[in-house]
Amino acid sequence: MTEARSTPSPERLIHIHQGECRISEDPAAVLTTMLGSCIAACLHDPVARVGGMNHFLLPEGENADRSASLRYGAYSMELLVNGLLSIGANRERLRAKLFGGGRLTEALTDIGEKNTAFAEQYLKREGIPLIGGSVRGSSARRIQFWPVSGRARQLSLGIPPVAIANAQTVSHLPAGHGSVELF
Amino acid sequence: MPDGSSLRIMVVEDQAAMRQLICSSLRQIGCHSVVECGDGQAALKEFSERPVQLILSDLNMPNLDGLGLLRAIRGKPGFEKTPFILLTSRAEVSIVTQAKELKVNNYIVKPFNLVVLKNKIQAVVGTLT
Repeated sequence: MTEARSTPSPERLIHIHQGECRISEDPAAVLTTMLGSCIAACLHDPVARVGGMNHFLLPEGENADRSASLRYGAYSMELLVNGLLSIGANRERLRAKLFGGGRLTEALTDIGEKNTAFAEQYLKREGIPLIGGSVRGSSARRIQFWPVSGRARQLSLGIPPVAIANAQTVSHLPAGHGSVELF
Repeated sequence: MPDGSSLRIMVVEDQAAMRQLICSSLRQIGCHSVVECGDGQAALKEFSERPVQLILSDLNMPNLDGLGLLRAIRGKPGFEKTPFILLTSRAEVSIVTQAKELKVNNYIVKPFNLVVLKNKIQAVVGTLT
């Protein structure tokens, strides 16, 4: 038996820059981002079929106040969670995938690890199950997240952070290079 | 001038991570008597049993949000003037207007730093010693 298939609607790519957060209930939406040591948290409610992504980097610096840095991360996560709740998600149903937190240089401070540890701790404290993703490592990543289905895909770029500042540089990579489908 | 270390402050925030950060920020500015509540309803219950001298409350929360809590506190005989600071993720005019109509004492837009937190508290309760 064959099923009649309607023509799929074209995907609508939405790029998330550092410091941004987007939520969506649009089946055509694909949230994308480029990550080095930054973290992108992808949250999804499978029943309400809504999802969202943020992209943050905990502030660092000689005079960085650790609690200020953490407050910034918590703020970014709060925006994402509250945004999802406002379009019908239920906190108890939220599921998370984390990406990024790579160590792309041999600098003394592993910023990626700090970002990853913060995000993992945050989810644990909030009781949001971490069901997948890809964190740490030494590669830059390109992430795609379908907020309605909760599907995520990662393209490992394997290039230093200086290159990911220019999205055009990486767009020359052959399609499928290092691509991993995650759930 | 209020003594920061004995000023009883209630922190109302549904996200545990943010709540803990606010409490640790308060400790860093010398405020050590802090009561934590996860939403407006729990805060109202706690306040009825043990009133505090200052409430720092998030806006978006389940059960009873920050504006609902503010309204309830303002309606409590004898406690109508309890200092109340609203913590918001957005400085939206409509929210601030509603809060002002309910006689909020001040508001803080997240993310905030320790200087802002201390200044806002001092603007409401006076210089902390």
